[in-house]
Amino acid sequence: MKRIYEGQAWVVGDHINTDQILPGRYLDRPMADVGQYAMTGLDETFPQKVRPGGVIVAGVNFGCGSSREAAVMALKQAGVAAVIARSFGRIFFRNAINNGFPAAVVAETERITHGDPLRLDLETRTLTDLRTGEVFTLQNLSGISQQILAAGGIVPFTLARLEARR
Amino acid sequence: MTLTEKIIARAAGRAAVRPADEVWAAVDLAAMHDSSGPRRIAGTIEQLGGRLWDPERVVLAIDHFAPAANQRHAEIVKLTRDWARSRALPHFYDSIGVMHNILLERGLARPGMLIVGADSHTVTAGAVGALAVGVGATELATVLVTGQMWLRVPPTVLIRFRDPRPAYLTARDMAMTVLRELRADFAIYKAVEYAGPAVDALDLDERAVLANQAIEMGAKNGIVPPSGPLLAQLGPEARAAGRPLAGDADARYEIVHEFALGTVPPLVAAPPNVDNIAAARELSAIEIDRAYVGSCVGGKEDDLREAARILKGRTIRVPLQVTPATSRVLERALHDGTLQTLLEAGAIIQAPGCGACAGLHSGLLAPNERCITTATRNVPGRMGDPSAEIYLASPLTVAASAVTGRITDPRELL
Repeated sequence: MKRIYEGQAWVVGDHINTDQILPGRYLDRPMADVGQYAMTGLDETFPQKVRPGGVIVAGVNFGCGSSREAAVMALKQAGVAAVIARSFGRIFFRNAINNGFPAAVVAETERITHGDPLRLDLETRTLTDLRTGEVFTLQNLSGISQQILAAGGIVPFTLARLEARR
Repeated sequence: MTLTEKIIARAAGRAAVRPADEVWAAVDLAAMHDSSGPRRIAGTIEQLGGRLWDPERVVLAIDHFAPAANQRHAEIVKLTRDWARSRALPHFYDSIGVMHNILLERGLARPGMLIVGADSHTVTAGAVGALAVGVGATELATVLVTGQMWLRVPPTVLIRFRDPRPAYLTARDMAMTVLRELRADFAIYKAVEYAGPAVDALDLDERAVLANQAIEMGAKNGIVPPSGPLLAQLGPEARAAGRPLAGDADARYEIVHEFALGTVPPLVAAPPNVDNIAAARELSAIEIDRAYVGSCVGGKEDDLREAARILKGRTIRVPLQVTPATSRVLERALHDGTLQTLLEAGAIIQAPGCGACAGLHSGLLAPNERCITTATRNVPGRMGDPSAEIYLASPLTVAASAVTGRITDPRELL
């Protein structure tokens, strides 16, 4: 999978709930059709305003709340390249890895300003703020999540496991 | 080892595990509903070979989209029902209640089990001393085919309630006491275990509240080891099945938080988050438009009975909707007179299920409307328009507020 992402920072606050990332009223939509509602629980104009490759930069507990996988898919479909946060709701984080969507913990997200150009390098596990030149370290993934992300998600990963069992 | 660690060790076939270990574990029970179930996973299951590892261990409930409010909902309900039939699922519950509550009331969730569900409130099954975790739909599909999931062993945080609880405090107030002090992210990736005299005295419905609210603390799971009368009831079978019932005497907790309940007043979580908590009395100037009793955490038998305790012989001033969590809750409320009390007070009763809590139907909130509810979450937009205000409270406080039309400390009416 792709290892380096460049895009603009879209800064949000703490405790962004999956009900804000994909409001419940859109839960009845097909999974392929949720991008147009991404983050509309927080900002109705997000899907129009976010630039392709944008990186969401959040405070603590991003993606807390419901287990809806559509929250991850909505961000992906809206063109968001990755989410960086001080911490994540664990189900959202697991859903991101399971869908090959980069989500990473950085301890100092408050040092990044809305609109800053960013470079996310999953090879060196660093995030660079290209405006300030500041380089942040991504917290390491656990062994199994690394394998799942490297496989491109939990479906290809599970197919390989089932194959190995035979 | 703590109880959570012992359950993981057993499921992983290991003598012992420690926090941060990663293991593959055999799942005892996998659960899903109409929102996270067949419509989201059928394709993935086919991709993975099409066979379920053990249909006996799979639970499916139609709870989010029933009763269907529009054509889209109706199609989701039908797709779910058709899939359940095509798979001849033995544990399929068609529009008779919330998956989490069904797992508990039908005895599907048992102490010491590893339970995984495609819903964040799957943690509710921790009420019987099971390790119950939520995952997304695609991951659940992989579990349905392989019977396994990977787990990183969480450190366990122990919440101990020291003294007995005053009669005007409910399990919901106990959980809010924790959220007020430790906030909504203190337990990210951790197990939250509950103990103490006030916990030993709780019935299963009340334990379900503590387990359920662990997700709002960020936890991987919430667990209430069986104790008191519940241990006598559930212990023998779990022991016979070789499943753990309690942690070891020398279990290591990451931290122990002690809470005293004697001076805690009835609490309310104001918008925009579950940890924005104040005493009901401090919010008594706030007028409400509607009141709502329902959801996996607040639509149980106990919740309806507590609401009736306040409403007996009184009349509500603002509309009060009641959504029983399951048809069995409704049936019991019918038999013990609770239903009559609620109806005589002016409340209306809706079909069992997730109700308005899932934000899909059955009484959504209009712009700027203000509601007090026993439901799960108060994030903007959860139950309708993002400008609506959702206040979370115990059934006592919700019922008292419905009587007065403003946020009310239930002690004023008890």
